[in-house]
Amino acid sequence: MRKVLIVNLTRFGDLLQTSPTIAGLHAQGDTHVTVVVERNFADVCEGIPGIDRVWPLDLDALGRLLLAEDLRAAYHAVSREIAALRAERFDLALNFSSSRMSAVLLRLIGVPDTRGWSMSDDGHRLITHPWSRLFSASCLTRRHAAFNLVDHYRRVAGVRDGPLRLRFTVQPAMRRRLGERLAEAGLGEGDPLVALQLGASRAIRRWPPRHLIAVGRRLAAAGLRLVLCGGAGDRPAADEIATALGSAVIDLCGRTTVAELAAVLERSDVLVTGDTGPMHLAVAVGTPVVALFFGPALPVDTGPYAADQLCLHAPVPCAPCDHAVRCGNPFCHDVLDPEAVGEAVLARRAGDWAGLEALARRWRQIAWYRTVFDAEGLFDLVALGGEVMPERARLRRAYRALWKAEFDGTPAGAVPGPPLRADAAALAALAGIAARAAEQARRVERLTTSGAPLEVLEHEARLLEDLDAAIQRHGAIHEAAAQLVELHRFEKENLVGDDVPTLARATRLELETLERRAHTLAALLLHHPSAGLPATAAREGTGSHAGFA
Amino acid sequence: MADHLEANLRALASVDPERAAAIAAAEPLTATCRPAANGVPTLAADGVLLHSLHDPMREAQRWALEACERLAAVGDAGATAVVFGFGLGWHLEALLEHWRGSLTVVEPDDRLLRTVLATRDFRVLLGRIVLAPLPLDERAVDRWQAPVLLCHGPSLLRDAGGLRELHARAAGHLALRGVRLRVLVVSPVAGGSHPITAYCARALTELGHDVRTLDLAPFASGMDAIDGFSPRARAREVVRTAYGRFLGAGILAAAEAYEPDLVLVMAQAPVDGAVVERLRALGALTALWFVEDHRLFGYWREAVGAYDHVFVIQEEPFLGEARRLAIGQVDYLPLAADPTVHRPLDLSPAERATFGAPVSFVGAGYRNRRLALRALLDCGLRIWGSEWDGCGPLAGAIQRQGARVSTEDCVRIFNATTVNVNLHSSTWVDGVDPAGDFVNPRTFELAAVGAFQLVDARRLLPPLFVAGEEVVTFEDVRALRDLVRAWLARSADDRAAVGAAARRRVLAEHTYRHRMARLLVLLAAGAGERWRPRPRGPTVGEVARLESDSPLGRLLAGLPPHTPFTLPGVVAALQQRTGDLDEAESILLFLHHFDQLYVREARA
Repeated sequence: MRKVLIVNLTRFGDLLQTSPTIAGLHAQGDTHVTVVVERNFADVCEGIPGIDRVWPLDLDALGRLLLAEDLRAAYHAVSREIAALRAERFDLALNFSSSRMSAVLLRLIGVPDTRGWSMSDDGHRLITHPWSRLFSASCLTRRHAAFNLVDHYRRVAGVRDGPLRLRFTVQPAMRRRLGERLAEAGLGEGDPLVALQLGASRAIRRWPPRHLIAVGRRLAAAGLRLVLCGGAGDRPAADEIATALGSAVIDLCGRTTVAELAAVLERSDVLVTGDTGPMHLAVAVGTPVVALFFGPALPVDTGPYAADQLCLHAPVPCAPCDHAVRCGNPFCHDVLDPEAVGEAVLARRAGDWAGLEALARRWRQIAWYRTVFDAEGLFDLVALGGEVMPERARLRRAYRALWKAEFDGTPAGAVPGPPLRADAAALAALAGIAARAAEQARRVERLTTSGAPLEVLEHEARLLEDLDAAIQRHGAIHEAAAQLVELHRFEKENLVGDDVPTLARATRLELETLERRAHTLAALLLHHPSAGLPATAAREGTGSHAGFA
Repeated sequence: MADHLEANLRALASVDPERAAAIAAAEPLTATCRPAANGVPTLAADGVLLHSLHDPMREAQRWALEACERLAAVGDAGATAVVFGFGLGWHLEALLEHWRGSLTVVEPDDRLLRTVLATRDFRVLLGRIVLAPLPLDERAVDRWQAPVLLCHGPSLLRDAGGLRELHARAAGHLALRGVRLRVLVVSPVAGGSHPITAYCARALTELGHDVRTLDLAPFASGMDAIDGFSPRARAREVVRTAYGRFLGAGILAAAEAYEPDLVLVMAQAPVDGAVVERLRALGALTALWFVEDHRLFGYWREAVGAYDHVFVIQEEPFLGEARRLAIGQVDYLPLAADPTVHRPLDLSPAERATFGAPVSFVGAGYRNRRLALRALLDCGLRIWGSEWDGCGPLAGAIQRQGARVSTEDCVRIFNATTVNVNLHSSTWVDGVDPAGDFVNPRTFELAAVGAFQLVDARRLLPPLFVAGEEVVTFEDVRALRDLVRAWLARSADDRAAVGAAARRRVLAEHTYRHRMARLLVLLAAGAGERWRPRPRGPTVGEVARLESDSPLGRLLAGLPPHTPFTLPGVVAALQQRTGDLDEAESILLFLHHFDQLYVREARA
C-alpha cells in the first residue's frame, strides 16, 4: 500500500480544495492518505471523504510556548512531531502550503518523493514539481493565472482521474438537527431557501451589508427565505441585515459548527458568497453558488470547483489586487450591482442559463462566468455575454495552452481573441535574450570541462549573470512575459548541487526552455496555433525539455 | 611567630592560593600582640582592641551563642554564616564549636591578616572557613545559602565602610541571583559617551542579560541640521528642546514595546525628567551613567532628582552633593575598557608606517592640549582627532586634516606608537589640570591595548592603576617632555613591561563587564521594592548543559554560551553559521518561520 502524506497548514477552504486530489489518489490504487492540518481545522477533515488519518498540529499550543519564551519545550514539541511523522515512512509527501515554515517541515520529515515547497540541505527553498513551481509563478502573476488551485493540487499529485468537484459528507444527524431549527423558524421541508455568506478573512474580501440587504430585499420579494451564515465576527453585519430584512431572515450567523454549516448549505437552493471557505463548502455539498469576486479574488484560480457555478467578477483595472494591499477605496465592491446579483440568484436558482446570458449582456460592467471543465478535465470559465476584457482573457488562454502543452503534453489549439502584437513582440524579445543567455551558458559549460583558468570562468559566468538580470528586467517591464520569467526563476532556483559542469548544463537547458516557451507563447498570441508545439508527456521533476529544437 | 605564619599560609594556599599570596605580600600592621589576663594572646590594631584584655575566649563564646540564635532563626540547615571581621579568630573558633554549617569570613584588611596569621596556629580554622575578600567575589556569593550577616564589633570600629559595602554587595548579589534582566540601553545621538553604549550593552549580554541597544546615532544629522533653521540662538534652542522631546517619545515607545526591567541611559542621551518619570511608571528601573565632568555639564542636578540610580565618575565632594539632592542612589563607577575592541594587534609593516609614530596623541583639540603638546614637536609627534583647526605650530603634526578617527584606527594607532600621550582635556588650564580627578576612557583603552602610556596625574588614578608600574604619570608639561624623551630612550622591553602590566590590570579589574556587574549589584541593592525583575530564562550555555546528549545540546555547545536561549537570540547566533543545516538547526528554523507567520503579531 502506498502511504501518502498531504501537508495543508492553510485554511478551511484550502483543505476542502484538496478533496478531489484525495479522491484521485485513491482512484490510482491502494493508497493510505494522511493529512497534516492545523488543529483548529481538523474537524473539517472529518467530512472530507478519503482521509484515512488526520494529523492535527497544535500550532496554538506551539505559539503559546513561544509567547511564554519556553523555546526548549517548543523545540521538543516540534522534534517529537517530526519523529512521529518520520516513523510513518511515507512514500509520497505533497506540500500544499506555500510557506517557508512548511518547506522546513517537509525537509525535516524527509520523504524521498516530496513535491511542493521544501528546503535544500543548506537552507534554500526548493520547489520540487513543475506544477508546483507554476503555481508559485502564477501567484506572482495572478492576472494571467491559467489554472484553478485544485487543478494545481491534482497535477502535483499526478492525479488525472477522480471527481471534478469538491467533496464533503454531510452527517445525517446534522441534517435532522437543522431541519428542527428551520422548522422552529417556520421553514418547511422543500420551502425555498437562499443562503447569504456575510464574512470573509479580510475587509477587502467582504461585500458590504448594504449590498446584501439590497439583494435580500429582491429575493424576499420573490418569496424566498434567507439564511445568514458567517462567523462570530460577522455579528454586527448580521444584525444590520436581519433588522433590515425582518422575518425573511433566519439568522444562523456565528451559530453553526462546520458540520452544521455544511447541512445549512446543503439545504439551501443557492449560496450568495464572496470567495470564501463556505463557497467551497457549498460546492462540496452540491449546492450551486453565485460567487462574487472582487478585491484580490479571481474566479480562475480559486473559483468554485464544480461545473455550472456562476461567478460574477468586478473587472476593474486594478483587479486582482495584491494580497498585501490595504485598499483605501474598494470601489470594486460597488461594481457588482446588487440588482444584477439579485437577478442572477433568481436565474441561477431556476437553472436559467439563457436568462443569465441576457443578464450578462445587460450588466456589462460585470464579468459573468459559468464554470466548466475542458476536454482534459481541467477547470475553466466560459464568459457569459462575451468577454469583458478580451485581451487579458486571450493572454490567459495562451498561457493555459502553453502550460498544458509543456506539462501535460496536450497539443495547443487556436486561442480565440484579438491578436496581441505588442505582447508577442515583447515575448520575441525575451526569446532573443534567452537565446543569447543560453549561448553564454554553453560557453561557460565548455569552459567548466576544458580546465580553463578560474578568472576566465568567473568572467564568463559574470556575463551570464548579466544576461540573466536582463531576463528578470524584461519580465518586470513586460507583463505578458512575467509568468514565463517568474517560472524560469523558480526553475533555476531549483538547480542544486556542487558539480559545476552539471549545473552549467542544467542552466543552459533552462534557458533553452525559456527561449522555446517565449517563442511558442508569442505564436499563440498571433493566431499561429500549435506551430511547433510538442505533444510530449510532461517530465515531472525536471521542468525542462532538453530535446526540443 | 614566623613559624605560625608560614604554616597558616600553607594551609590557606591549599584552598585559596591567590589569597594566601596576597596576604603574604602585605605589609604587617604595626600592631601589638599581647597576652590577655587569662594568658591567651589578644591584639590592638589602629588603636582598636580586637578582643577582650581579660578573657577573649569567654567573650567569644557569648558572641557565638548570640550568633547561633540568629542562625537558628533562619530555620532549616542551609544558612550560610557570613562574619565580617577576622580579628584574632577567637570568635570564629567559638562559633565553629556550635555551628556545623557553612562559614564565610570577610576581612577587607590583608595587612591585619598578615599580622594575625603570625600570632597563632589557624590551620584547623582555615580548613573550616571560606576567607572571602572584599569586594566580594561573585562566585563566593553564588555559593551562599540564606546568608546571615554577623558582625565582629571591633572589626566594625576599624572599617565601618567595609561592613556597609558587604551588606550592599551581599544584598545586590542575592537579588541578582538567578535573574536575567531585560535591559534597554539608550545611547546619546553623538559624543564621547556614544561608543561606551555599545561596550556596556556587550558587557551586559556577556553577564547573561537580555539587552537591546537603542542607538540614536541616526538622529545626529537631524540635531546638526537644526543650526540651519535660524541664526538666533534662542530659536535654535527651542527647536533642539522640541527635537529632544521627540526623541524622548521614541525612547518611551521602545520601552513600551520591549518592557525592560532596567533602562540604562548613557550621559547626553535625550532623556529628560519627564521621560524618566514615564519610564519608571512603566515599571522599569532607571539608571544613568553620567560619564561626564560635573563641572562642565550641570544637568546632573535634574538627573539625580529623577533616576533610581545615577552612576558618576567623580567622587567627593561631588558625590556627597549629588547624594544630597538625589531621590535614589548615587554611586561612583569609574570608566573602563572593552578588551574585545581595545586589544593588542599584530600589525603589518604598512599599518605600522601608516599609524605608528614615536609619540602619538589621539583626541580632540582642547585648549590645554594645544598648548601642552607644543612641547613634543621635536619628539616625532603625530596628532589624531578632530577640532584642531587653527592650532598654529601643531598643524604639521595633525593627521588626516583633523578628520575623526574610527575606533578601529585608534586601536591601530595605540598599537603602533612607541609612547602614547594621554592628556585629560580642560577648557580652563594651560596644560595639566592640577585639580583633575576622574580618569578618562583613553587611560583604560590604552592599558587594554597593552600600550605604553604617559598620562597626566589624576586624583582618582590610584587605586585604578599603579603609577610607575602600569602607567607613567606627569604633573606638568615640563615633566611630560622629560618623560617622553626618557621613555623613548629606554628599551622596548621596558615599555612593553609597563604596557603588559596595565593590560593585566584592565583584564582583572577594569573591563566594562566588571563595571556592569558592579552597576547591577549596586542597583539591585539600592532598588528596594522597585526591584521586580521578571524570572530569568536560561542561556544557550545552560540549555547546552541540560541537553548535552541531544542534537540540540550539540548545536548549542557551538554557540556563544551567554546568548539568551530565546528564538531571536538563537536565530541571530545561527545566522552567523554557514553550510548544511542539521536537524536541530532545521527545527529552530521551523520555529523561526512559525514565529514570523503566526506569533510575532500576537506578541506585538
